[in-house]
Amino acid sequence: MPDLPAVAIERLSKSFNGIEVLRDVDLTVNRGEVVSILGSSGSGKSTLLRCINWLEQPDRGAIRIGGQRIGVDDNGRRMPARELAALRAKTGMVFQSFNLWPHLTVLHNVTEAPIHVKGVAKKEAVRTARELLDKVGMAHKMEAYPYTLSGGQKQRVAIARALAMSPEVILFDEPTSALDPELVGEVLGVMKDLSAEGYTMVVVTHEMEFARAVSDQVVFLDKGIIIERAAPEQFFTAPETERVRKFLELKQ
Amino acid sequence: MNAQTWWLLLEGAWTTAWISGVAIAIGVVAGLAIALVRMARIPVIDQVLVIYISLARATPLVTLVLFIFLVAPTFGIVMNRNIAGIMALTLNTAAFNAEIWRAAFLSFSREQKEAALACGMTNGVIFRRIMLPQMFTTSLPGLVNEMSFLIKGSPAIAVIGIVDLTRVTNRISAVTYEPLPPILAAAALYMIIISMLLKLQDMAEKKANRLTM
Ligand SMILES: Nc1ncnc2c1ncn2[C@@H]1O[C@H](COP(=O)(O)OP(=O)(O)OP(=O)(O)O)[C@@H](O)[C@H]1O
Ligand SMILES: [Mg+2]
Repeated sequence: MPDLPAVAIERLSKSFNGIEVLRDVDLTVNRGEVVSILGSSGSGKSTLLRCINWLEQPDRGAIRIGGQRIGVDDNGRRMPARELAALRAKTGMVFQSFNLWPHLTVLHNVTEAPIHVKGVAKKEAVRTARELLDKVGMAHKMEAYPYTLSGGQKQRVAIARALAMSPEVILFDEPTSALDPELVGEVLGVMKDLSAEGYTMVVVTHEMEFARAVSDQVVFLDKGIIIERAAPEQFFTAPETERVRKFLELKQ
Repeated sequence: MNAQTWWLLLEGAWTTAWISGVAIAIGVVAGLAIALVRMARIPVIDQVLVIYISLARATPLVTLVLFIFLVAPTFGIVMNRNIAGIMALTLNTAAFNAEIWRAAFLSFSREQKEAALACGMTNGVIFRRIMLPQMFTTSLPGLVNEMSFLIKGSPAIAVIGIVDLTRVTNRISAVTYEPLPPILAAAALYMIIISMLLKLQDMAEKKANRLTM
């Protein structure tokens, strides 16, 4: 199914305690595309991202990963846990707070899911992990435990961990927001490389330069509604709404 | 004290060690199983477990030992002393361990779990590969504490005639009319058993350092 989009979201709505956080969100992410999601705090960016791999369950709407509906089937029946897990494995996620597993070394953080979810042979998993850690510049820390790493190093390991499952799409939730300013660059650098290699990525970020340079599509969320979507040049130079103009002014 | 009294003491120490050891081994695993079942919050079963835990924690060990040993025959079960002793100790320690494990479940990092879910892990894999190793390390100090309480409470099994390390000192002094030496020797043996546990706790604490992110 090479021409099915990596992610297709249709009329997605989600409330928390009666407050609507996402309303009728439609979004298509094609293979090889980088989509940036912008918006101010509380606009629903994380919730949207977390619905894609069913860490949050939407109230309405459909989400398809590579054409396959996640979470429920078309009759609204819940997906069996095993199938849900298998579909989640096709999406990688990188969190703001890294969320590495502290009891495992860098190498084992990366090999854990391939070995215990996909059943990849240990040798093979280690070989792949070494390549990926090399790609993110962390091969020299393979035997280290997470607590010995800087934030930027942890995040690069977390990216390698996500890549290790060969996902169809990688979801990034503000991957540099928890980093000291001088460490932001090393993580954005890795993400730029990934986009150049053709990885499909959905990125929630406050890094405007990055979004402008790397995205194929920029989406702006305001109170749970996508009020603007455009190619980056257009979005940053000629926004259509007053809301986005204000937002961009504040980010200057 | 002569060689024979030392031999008797060591036999008593062995009885204490193996009966407590079996109860500890079963009690740690049973406590984990109880905590796991409680996390599932199955109606009725959950209430039953809550009642068991409060009863077992409130009942003195001696009472529990006697109860099991004396009540079993009325159900037609012929109860071997050692088994009754192990059962009582296990029922007691499992209740305390269940609370320790439960605290570890409840405090486990949601972020780490989400990272595991996002990688496609099922709950079973997450439990075995991500949660349990860390819960074991963080719970070990509490578990070892409970183990040493159990060993120190284990003389309760003497009420049904098991000759443990404390009971044997009575027997020795009944013959030698010198109660002090065997009691001091028994205290030393208890200390050796407990200090081996504390060593374990020490090792766990070193390992726990890396879990603090
Ligand atoms: N689990 C939850 N329970 C209740 N309310 C929630 C929950 N998660 C998010 N919300 C609320 O939903 C709204 C959107 O939250 P979300 O985290 O998606 O925003 P965001 O755009 O990612 O913000 P930020 O830039 O601060 O990360 C917020 O008002 C938030 O308080
Ligand atoms: Mg957010």
